[in-house]
Amino acid sequence: MILYAALVVSIVFASGTFLLLQRDLTRVVVGIVLVSNSAVLFIIAAGLARGEPPIYPLPEGGEQGLRVSDPLVQAMALTALVIGFGVAALLLAMVYRLYTSHHTIDLEEIADVEMRQAEALERADDPEREEVPAEEQDAEPEEEREWR
Amino acid sequence: MFTVLLPLTLALLAAPATIIVGALKPAYAAPVGTAFAALAAVATLWAWLVGGGVVDLAWVPSWDLRFALSLDGLAALYALLATGIGFTVLVYSYRYLPLHLEHEGRPEPDAVRFYFFVLLFMGSMVGLAMAQDLILLFVFWDLTAIASYYLIGYDDHKEESRASALMALLVTGITAVLLLIGVLFLYAAYGTFSVPELARRVEPGPLLTGCGLLVAFAGLAKSAQAPLHFWLPRAMAAPTPVSAYLHSAAMVAAGVLLIGRVYPLLQKSEVLLDALLVFGIVSMAIGGVLALTRDVLKQLLAHSTIAQYGFVVTMYGLGGPYGAGGAAFYVIAHALAKSALFLTAGVVTEASGQDRLSRLGGLRKPMPVLAAASGAAAATLTSLPLTVGFFADEFFFAAALERGLLFAGIAVASAATTLAYTWRFWAGIFLGEPRAGTNAGVHRIPALLVAPVVALGAIGLAGGFFTGLFEKLAEAAGEVSFKAPTPLDASYHLELLPEYIMALAAYALGTVLIVSRPAWSGAALGFSRLGKLVGPERLYGLTVNGLNRLSDLVHQLEIRNLRGRVTSVLLPTAVLVGAAVLVTPTAGAYQVGEFRAGEVPLMLVMLAVAVASLTTTFARRHVTLAVVLSSAGFALAVVYAFYGAPNVTLVAVLVETMLTLLLVATLRLIPYRVLHRQAELPVLRRNRKVFVSAVAGAFAFVVVWVALSQPPAGDTVAEEHVRLTSEAHAKNVVTATLADFRGLDTLGEITVVVLVLLGVATLLGGGASTASGGPAGVTGSEQPAARVVTRAVARLLYLPTLLVAAALLVKGFVQTGDGFSAGVVAALGILLRYLAFGHEEAEKLPPVRYATFVAFAGLLVSLGVAAAPLFLGEAVLTHYPPPGKEPVHLGTLELMTAVLFDFGIFLLVFGFAVGVVSFFARAIAREEEDTGPGAPLRGGGKR
Repeated sequence: MILYAALVVSIVFASGTFLLLQRDLTRVVVGIVLVSNSAVLFIIAAGLARGEPPIYPLPEGGEQGLRVSDPLVQAMALTALVIGFGVAALLLAMVYRLYTSHHTIDLEEIADVEMRQAEALERADDPEREEVPAEEQDAEPEEEREWR
Repeated sequence: MFTVLLPLTLALLAAPATIIVGALKPAYAAPVGTAFAALAAVATLWAWLVGGGVVDLAWVPSWDLRFALSLDGLAALYALLATGIGFTVLVYSYRYLPLHLEHEGRPEPDAVRFYFFVLLFMGSMVGLAMAQDLILLFVFWDLTAIASYYLIGYDDHKEESRASALMALLVTGITAVLLLIGVLFLYAAYGTFSVPELARRVEPGPLLTGCGLLVAFAGLAKSAQAPLHFWLPRAMAAPTPVSAYLHSAAMVAAGVLLIGRVYPLLQKSEVLLDALLVFGIVSMAIGGVLALTRDVLKQLLAHSTIAQYGFVVTMYGLGGPYGAGGAAFYVIAHALAKSALFLTAGVVTEASGQDRLSRLGGLRKPMPVLAAASGAAAATLTSLPLTVGFFADEFFFAAALERGLLFAGIAVASAATTLAYTWRFWAGIFLGEPRAGTNAGVHRIPALLVAPVVALGAIGLAGGFFTGLFEKLAEAAGEVSFKAPTPLDASYHLELLPEYIMALAAYALGTVLIVSRPAWSGAALGFSRLGKLVGPERLYGLTVNGLNRLSDLVHQLEIRNLRGRVTSVLLPTAVLVGAAVLVTPTAGAYQVGEFRAGEVPLMLVMLAVAVASLTTTFARRHVTLAVVLSSAGFALAVVYAFYGAPNVTLVAVLVETMLTLLLVATLRLIPYRVLHRQAELPVLRRNRKVFVSAVAGAFAFVVVWVALSQPPAGDTVAEEHVRLTSEAHAKNVVTATLADFRGLDTLGEITVVVLVLLGVATLLGGGASTASGGPAGVTGSEQPAARVVTRAVARLLYLPTLLVAAALLVKGFVQTGDGFSAGVVAALGILLRYLAFGHEEAEKLPPVRYATFVAFAGLLVSLGVAAAPLFLGEAVLTHYPPPGKEPVHLGTLELMTAVLFDFGIFLLVFGFAVGVVSFFARAIAREEEDTGPGAPLRGGGKR
């Protein structure tokens, strides 16, 4: 069973990794969901005990002590699930935003556009001008004369 | 204690009060802020006159930090300046700022931000003045830097303002770190952060010299002393009231305040005093010469400030009773004069539209009152007799003379320069012939703009006759710094004192400078040019540009090859994991585990999970992808059930439902054309990706296998949790764990959830729906019959879902269920509405409209439950009733704080889920509006 659980976890994980490497951003999100699924499965499988749900009244304890499933990993899994969902929702929103701003969901095309924008930005305004205040105001010599 | 806390509280409350009032009614922000400043000024004066006071509370005892404040002479002086000048500046701003905003084309409510930061500045200056603990002082120190950043960059649509604000922040912020380092070294050696304590313990030596230099350098940078003076003239990009405040009573004054505060330490080392002397004299020289060359009014004054604080630093460097006490006196005189002159510059520029001396002149006729008032201020600055400035210079001369003739000569030369450029400023504006076209709107000057200048000028003049208060303040402040009485005799003498001779010499030399201007102006301009070419500002520019280029380089590397970057993280990780696997002893590390017949169903479901996951990698169409992904998710939920985790199963099913819907919603948002192109993409480098993911999977496999093979340890936390559950009045161990035993984890988690909601809100626009009327109405009438059934069901199920949610929530401690599940179930009821009635209808439901609010309310409830025990002297997250006591029953409902905590989670998750869904729905509605009501979205959008 240990071997089998490890196999399943790693298959889910590997599928997620494969999708993560795609150019298509929705696939990347699906990949992340799969990876987090594999993590939750791993946490649950790592429970030290397996048996009845940990809800009172508990089944009669044998000599092995705990006859209920490990409640700690379940609490952790719950947290992981909710956070995983939140992350997925955020990523999906980001994918949509990227689509509205770049009209594509292809990672490489987006990277290209970003590069071009960065270069355009650099050409348009010199960093010299952006971060250092403009040179000015020694009294111009001719104005100086005028003052006198 | 009350005497200390009253002024500080008033000063610190001013900023929040202003922004709250400003949010309700922008026009009231200024009066409220001004009233607070006036109250704080009066309170400070009163508190000091009744004898000051001390507050000393433990702040972070484990780090020896104390909340130590004292209203001693030094604190009273600077707090009075901060609040008094602050009040004057605020009165001035009340008229000036609307003009400024109109000039810049900005909306009037922007003024609230201005008042907020000016008052924040004031509050932090008062705190800084009173702080006796060096870490507390550092906190206020940085607060002033932050406030100044926003004030200098107030006109944030101008590049010049932004760059200047950044420069001020970098110069004073980086040197603030030096201050912190020095303080920490002192603490390491002497074990205290308290200034008076340190003054008793510190002994001269290399450590004191090193730390003293670090601390003093921070003060010098803040006071714009050479070589870090360059930020101050740039900071003139701020609106004029800010400049006036910054120069006289706040930012720049904070530097010499720090030096005055740690002076008991500094004066133990001759090296430090000599260093102060050098910095002060160089600043006097550079500031003075550059002030003579500047044409823009505010620039002239800015360089004058550099020189004037050079005087103060020099006085501290000279030491002795006249040095320490005189420095305090000088700060008062300078603050009065300089703020008045800045305000004058603001009035003149506002009236004439000109900000350069070369385009101004002859304004004495149209504005006689201003001319007289600023004349008084200018006289104070140049220390003419019958002004308070006269005594300031007298002390300066006395201190210099004590040290020797060379210093006396330097002092006279500096005073002469001051006379020259101050004359240039005042005479350039008010004397001479009127310039063409500049005097046009001059008669429109509001009295409220002139009144503060008159008041400040009058105080400067009055100080020339009634010196009592000034003398007393400066003596008290000097005593704090000098650690011995510093008797200051500010009165006129009939005999000819050496100081009087020096003053006369300074006036004479100053007059010569004014008259002989043509002879030296070329040389001075040349010096200015040279400074620009090789000065420290150039170095600053080069450094900033270099850092910018470096960051650009890294940025380009990152976005050019994102996956390459990811690989560069993953590859070393893989190598490390592989190495760990290799060195781990293999004996007993890999257990196959026993197979039991009863586990066959579990194994079958897990097989389904694996197959579904693998299938996602083959799915070409996105809808297929979504369906396969959700089937994997639902199968996983079943797996959890077999593992004896009903809570997890419940949440997994719910989350999977939501996720699938969101995924489909996203696919609907993106036109088919775009998706299709992705689906049809040639499978480039597929083999490499398969290989990489296979390797990743193999690693994961090994690690997971080893981890799962570990035999259980003897006593587990889980057993403890199971045992304690009954004491927590719960029956469901998992819920008790979440809400009670590991409540802190849960708190962290729900905070993340709220952040995610905010992120989604930001990304998807979050604004109100743009679709109104039209499209939804049309689609509503042309729905097929099937839709009617869905609608009926949705309407029928809406209340029951809420009921189920409530049941899950209240029964969570006894049965399966908890806040999470309850929240998601309740959200599903709303979701059903969306599916059946569309965006328009669902939008009308109260939970939808207030989703974000509900989520925040939930977070607040949970945080409140977590924090409440603090006030009862218990640890955070202590729940009531305590173990052993029976909770109060209300029917079957048990009243416990843990349930309330869970209720907060419920609200939060509910608000989160509804919020996310509604944001997606709004995005879809917008998209539909773009593509037209009837058009099927997937047919390809306009884009």
